[in-house]
Amino acid sequence: MKTIVTARDLLKKYGELTAVDGISFEIREGECFAFLGPNGAGKTSTIKMIHCVSPLTSGALIVNGLPAHIENRALKMMTGVIPQEITLDSDLTVYENLIVFANFFDIPKREAKNRIAELLKFVELEQKRKSKISELSTGMKRRLLIARALLNHPKLIVADEPTTGLDPQAKHLIWQRLRQLKNQGVTLILTTQYMEEAQQLCDRVVIMHRGKILKEGVPAKLVEDEIGREVVEIRIPKEEEEKIMSHLSSLSCGHERVGDTLYFYCQDGQHLMKKLIELNFHNFLDRPASLEDVFLKLTGRGLIE
Amino acid sequence: MNLSYRIYYVFFRNLVSYKRFVVPTFLVSLIEPLFYLITFGIGMGAYIGYFGGKPYLYFLVPGVLVSSVMLSSTFECLYGTFVKMVHEKVYDSIIATPVSAEDAIAGDIAWAAFRGLVSGSLMLIVASFMGVLPASIPSVLILLFLMVFVGILFGSLAMIVTSFAPNFDFFNYYTELVITPMLFFSGVFFPLDKFPDWMKTFSSFIPLTHAVNISRAVFSGVYRPELIFSFLFILVLEAIAFYIGLRSMKKRLIK
Repeated sequence: MKTIVTARDLLKKYGELTAVDGISFEIREGECFAFLGPNGAGKTSTIKMIHCVSPLTSGALIVNGLPAHIENRALKMMTGVIPQEITLDSDLTVYENLIVFANFFDIPKREAKNRIAELLKFVELEQKRKSKISELSTGMKRRLLIARALLNHPKLIVADEPTTGLDPQAKHLIWQRLRQLKNQGVTLILTTQYMEEAQQLCDRVVIMHRGKILKEGVPAKLVEDEIGREVVEIRIPKEEEEKIMSHLSSLSCGHERVGDTLYFYCQDGQHLMKKLIELNFHNFLDRPASLEDVFLKLTGRGLIE
Repeated sequence: MNLSYRIYYVFFRNLVSYKRFVVPTFLVSLIEPLFYLITFGIGMGAYIGYFGGKPYLYFLVPGVLVSSVMLSSTFECLYGTFVKMVHEKVYDSIIATPVSAEDAIAGDIAWAAFRGLVSGSLMLIVASFMGVLPASIPSVLILLFLMVFVGILFGSLAMIVTSFAPNFDFFNYYTELVITPMLFFSGVFFPLDKFPDWMKTFSSFIPLTHAVNISRAVFSGVYRPELIFSFLFILVLEAIAFYIGLRSMKKRLIK
């Protein structure tokens, strides 16, 4: 597969603050690629450089064969951006938002009208054509942002936390649409804090923390390699831990304590659970390992502010 | 400077949004200068009587007209732009398209000039009903051009202020300490020849003074050669302000 984005030693500083600390990665054409990371990890800064609204401090960044640069109109022409914040024009109606934006991409009026009709259908907002932005729910606003990002028939879509603050219905509708776009051959670059979102949508992810890439890979493989198949969570105070640990140490599971919980990472949780029931201990939970476990293991379970 | 024809697209965006504000802005544009004309022109004019051979209103109109252009374009690039930049994040989404930051800012300055032109033209219509008119048809054209130049100038100056304004309140410094005093030092309400020399010198550095001079000539039909200097002063200051406005706003928008 062709690569569409190549970054080498990408560095971004805001004054003294290093937001992106010399990262390198490649994104292939047609894949969905996610940057995962806690707040302040440098995800947004990275994708802002990719879609040419933020200059690099140093390093190299090639997008579709061209150097990413804030004055690169050709790259902006082929990119659709779904921003994290709702940047809809609240002085305008739904339709006006789109027609004004179509202008920005030099789309002729007649063509723009056709595309807008199509896109409003795609994001299920045909009924809201004449509504003011303030009359839309958050989910509708997010969908409109997607429609807006698609006006120029982008080859590359950059979505910065596209489902933040949405209810499950709205979230799933957006995932459906993003998958549909990917099936049409569009390259999707995503940032998210929701691991489920990455697992639902992405072929490959990188986990970022403090401006650096900690791990890169296919979500399922990362989970398998870093955590295993199952996680058994046992709610037990630290003082009582001793009582059960001696019985469990024979089982080859890694474990970790966070607050009131002991986490066991296993290939198979059956034996562990049997043991716990034998010990007459029932306050536990056995669940499949997820990307969230990988994320927390790598970035730490403490609060990041 | 990465400017292109896309300035028009930003102008168009403002035009589309303007539809909803036409009535209130027309009212403001009309009522404020009318207030000046009626209170000063008729009220004070009654005391002053004739002024250079004509009623005081004739003296007042050219000055108030360019002042209204100045105020409209200033407010547009202060409050209008600030709301779009900070509250509505309009610029953030524009600069992610092929429209450059410079296009977007220049589009807003062009829009401010248009708003100035609308205010000034409304004034002109009101004044003509009061019997005060430019000297000839070509003079009307000169006046329209002047309004555009004045609009771009004060739009650009306001843009510089907006580029480093932390919040709305900050604009009070500019309007109260720069714009309002300009009204009194530029010969809008009374001639400057009784000012002491240092004040005259000070006035000659105020761009509005030069705009008022040209406007006055348009109404009297007497074009003195010094007006070339006034015109150049506006033009040069405008070019500088436009350039600095674009650069400093770009710095704020692109991080």
